[in-house]
Amino acid sequence: MLAQRKPGFWNRIYLVEVIRGLSITMKNFLFHKKVTLQFPEQRRDYSTKFRGQHYIKSVNGVENCTACMLCPTVCPAECIHIVAGEREDKEKYPVKFEIDSLRCCFCGMCEEACPKDAIKLSNIYEMSQQNRTVYEKDFLLEQRGNK
Amino acid sequence: MAKCTIDGKEVEFTPGENLIKVAKRAGVDIPVFCYHPGLTVVAQCRMCYVEVEKMPKLQTACSTNAAEGMVVKTTSEAVKKGREGTMEFLLLNHPLDCPICDKAGECDLQDNSFGSGSAYMRHSEERRTYVDVDMGDVIQKNMNRCIHCTRCIRFGDEIAGIHEMVAIKRGNNIDITTIDGKQLQTEYAGNYSDICPTGSLTLKDFRFKKRAWMLKKTDTVCEGCSKGCNMEIQHEGNAIYRCVPRENLEINKYWMCDEGRFNYHYTQDPARILNPVQKVGAAWSKITWDQGLSALKSETNAVNTLFLLGTDLTLEEMSAIRETVTRNHKNAKLLSFGTHGVETSAQDKSQDQILKMKSKTSNLMGAEKLGIEALQGKAKADVVVVFRGGRAQLPAIESKKTIGVGVFLEKEVTSFDVILPGLAFTEKDGTVINHQGKEQRLKRAVLPREKCKAIPEVLMLLLNQKTREVLA
Repeated sequence: MLAQRKPGFWNRIYLVEVIRGLSITMKNFLFHKKVTLQFPEQRRDYSTKFRGQHYIKSVNGVENCTACMLCPTVCPAECIHIVAGEREDKEKYPVKFEIDSLRCCFCGMCEEACPKDAIKLSNIYEMSQQNRTVYEKDFLLEQRGNK
Repeated sequence: MAKCTIDGKEVEFTPGENLIKVAKRAGVDIPVFCYHPGLTVVAQCRMCYVEVEKMPKLQTACSTNAAEGMVVKTTSEAVKKGREGTMEFLLLNHPLDCPICDKAGECDLQDNSFGSGSAYMRHSEERRTYVDVDMGDVIQKNMNRCIHCTRCIRFGDEIAGIHEMVAIKRGNNIDITTIDGKQLQTEYAGNYSDICPTGSLTLKDFRFKKRAWMLKKTDTVCEGCSKGCNMEIQHEGNAIYRCVPRENLEINKYWMCDEGRFNYHYTQDPARILNPVQKVGAAWSKITWDQGLSALKSETNAVNTLFLLGTDLTLEEMSAIRETVTRNHKNAKLLSFGTHGVETSAQDKSQDQILKMKSKTSNLMGAEKLGIEALQGKAKADVVVVFRGGRAQLPAIESKKTIGVGVFLEKEVTSFDVILPGLAFTEKDGTVINHQGKEQRLKRAVLPREKCKAIPEVLMLLLNQKTREVLA
């Protein structure tokens, strides 16, 4: 059985501990560098390897993607849906290219698997949304945050 | 029995067997391109190099027959170097467009390049390119990817019985094409795509639909005719994408006709009836299963009822129907229908001396074995009930009321009054008997769509009012 110890007088009034605690708080408040940013005006610099919002790279207005389906194959979240088709200037191209942004876990495996350097993850991290958003092909082709 | 040694393992062989077959039995896979077990040996691709002791040079395994006491090495340095050299030659002109090639994932060139080739290439010159001819409705050609194994030429000559593919010009300019650039004539054109070791000949029907590795595979039997070719249904997400033949040396060997290969399309036809429907005027209106079954029950109590049973049903379904009819409709007649002009298995002859049979349903023999007589001429009765698996050709029907149970397309059943939707051959398990009397199993590849029900289930609900209430 544990022996119960009665707290002494100084312990009971807590004053010493409160002063000690507040002194740490004030020290950090007054003398340390701030860790927060004034977000929209100030922005943090991220590494170029940062994995943010997706885009499909296009060269001269033609998407690099050939709908080889390696990204949906490798995707662990199964969030990429592609329908392949054929058109005059390109033997195989994605008619439909959708990324379910809520399912995506931003692992970057699609970027790694892509043989055509088409799907890429940009530096954009502001992706808050009010409803379930599926990135359509037209949206992905806008070269937002092109690296 | 004669014995030889392959990679240190002793294997028995029958004289005349080539080293590829013998090695396969020893568990050694030899990479091949031009060799195909169903075609003659030409030893053109030089991929199957093996080292045979006491022979000065590397030998091609496909054209070397095993001999008593032969010692074969398939993994020695010389063999590796030989195969690597062959691979480098074959890839000189190959465009490496695997991302857009339909063969990727099941491509011999990919597999063998990965297994025996080098990871680097020394070739930096321009590759040759071709303008492709139109090969007809079945095959899409891409000559740039070709490695001139001539499997397609030999297939046409030896199996399809039509010499339509040829090799013109020589050396680097060789062109595998049809005579005068004509379209393919054979009804077995789909096999060109199966045997092509690269993506030179691919199916137009499957073009860009799915990648090979995404498909799930179910072994089943073709229901196109009474031959009963073994085939594999490749499907994903409850949709079928293609059918390919399976090896069965007693029935179809390695091949399959285009009719059977593309037969599955009717199961996914938008005009297929997927809900119980009733004819109101000229249009169909949806009814519940309960209403449909009540209609079936009240109509079949009429004095003069004829039950027609398609020979495209499985044995299980046929015997369930026969039981129900003999027990509950003692006055009714039960007859089978299948192909116009082919009523008995004696009339069922080979159509083209290759694979196709005259009977266009899979289970004519099964109906005969169950003792169900065939319908002759017109179907004439007050009420006609038609059970059909989807492929049997509907006979001319003269009746006051016609009820269909099974798979029907809208345009086929303009004279029907009630349709209860059933399962197609891709959606059910069962047994069929082919023209040789061989029993084979159908296996379910995809789940039933919408409100379709299997025929045994329909019969059970018909007989058992209580079950129907519970299920409703």
